[in-house]
Amino acid sequence: MNTPRKAGARTGRAPGLTELAAERASGALLCDAGTVYLQGGQVVHAESPVSPGIEVLLTAGGRLTADSWREAMGRAGPAGGVGRFLVDSGRLSGAELEICHLGALFDAAYFALGHGSGPRGFQRGAAHWLGPVRPVGAAAVERETRRRGELLAALWPYPRVDTEPVVARRPDGRAPAVTPRQRAVLALADGVRTPARIARELGRPAFHTLIDIRRLAAAGHIATPRSTGPAAPPSPRPGVPGHPALPARSGARPPLPPGRGPTAAGFTDPDIDLLRRLRDALEATL
Amino acid sequence: MPGIDECLLEAMTVNGARGAALIEWTSGLALGMAGEVRDEDPEATAAETAELARMAAEQRAFAALGPGGGKSGADDGTDNGGDGGTNGGGNGDGRDREPAVEDVIITTRTCYHLLRFVDTAFDSGVFFYLWLDRREGNLALARLRLRDLCRGLALL
Repeated sequence: MNTPRKAGARTGRAPGLTELAAERASGALLCDAGTVYLQGGQVVHAESPVSPGIEVLLTAGGRLTADSWREAMGRAGPAGGVGRFLVDSGRLSGAELEICHLGALFDAAYFALGHGSGPRGFQRGAAHWLGPVRPVGAAAVERETRRRGELLAALWPYPRVDTEPVVARRPDGRAPAVTPRQRAVLALADGVRTPARIARELGRPAFHTLIDIRRLAAAGHIATPRSTGPAAPPSPRPGVPGHPALPARSGARPPLPPGRGPTAAGFTDPDIDLLRRLRDALEATL
Repeated sequence: MPGIDECLLEAMTVNGARGAALIEWTSGLALGMAGEVRDEDPEATAAETAELARMAAEQRAFAALGPGGGKSGADDGTDNGGDGGTNGGGNGDGRDREPAVEDVIITTRTCYHLLRFVDTAFDSGVFFYLWLDRREGNLALARLRLRDLCRGLALL
């Protein structure tokens, strides 16, 4: 593979996704938490160690056998056309491939682009073995990445539950019922497995698992690590307009400002159980 | 082999169809859209519609009544109400993958909104959304067309 230098004007700084899209670049954008693949400025795939790859999603649920996946990789991997091969050989319908591919793409992009300290480098010309399936505009990927971050923050603004081993706990009697999907997550919450590992074992996108994790944490079914503050600290003063002082009931979409919330600097460790009881009490009276 | 766009375009041939979308209810992500959207922010519309689908899919009240589901929630992914077909054979682990709810129908004064869950043999959490003009559309027919379309999405 050729590895020519990036065309970015400044050395030592990798070009951003927007920049690369504007110049219709093709290659792999390397980030701290994953890689985003571009072709002609469009996002064609993404990978992250946190999110199960398309091969995991397809084989974990039994849609493809490991053998059939290996065969596809062997035959079409070197030429970078595994996706097309899977459809042409009748293993998947076009729509199935696209659904699974987009699920994996946006999942990995959320971690690659939404976490860490920005792109580290761009490997021009690098292509993914899957090949183009359904390219997505870079702006759409960035919007969705932002939306996902806001959604998680709205559900339960404690990002450490995303990465720490998941510890089940006994909620108080008023906790919302656990859904079937959440039950599968809870069954693997052994205090050792992280959300990423649970996602992999269930064959689900990691972000979908994080949604369940945050909802379960908000409801008190799993523990929220205590030694950290929330990403967007609940405003302790009532005078801040338009900003709910407590995390909203799961499912609601409170108006969070885009971008990163204020950091927890200078914010003392909140008593999560107290906050939870306070929220329950408020919801009961509203 | 039809992809998402072909399925969306076919959905738009249903009488009275105004808009169609394929959306992940688990995340709120729109995988594809065709026709009109309800407002100027299609992604927000998709996320809102997904929220409705999620609530329907996860409500125990509906899941428990499923004639095929039996045990509440343990819906095994084995079938979508006798939908025929071999159903992939790989559902042994069937971890509550598909909701027992088949579709959700919302009727407004001017429109029908149909949300139909798509049965895939991997964990996608996808539903098909179609909305129709109430004067031109036929709800019963549209519902059947959508059912067939969703079956055709995956090679089950």
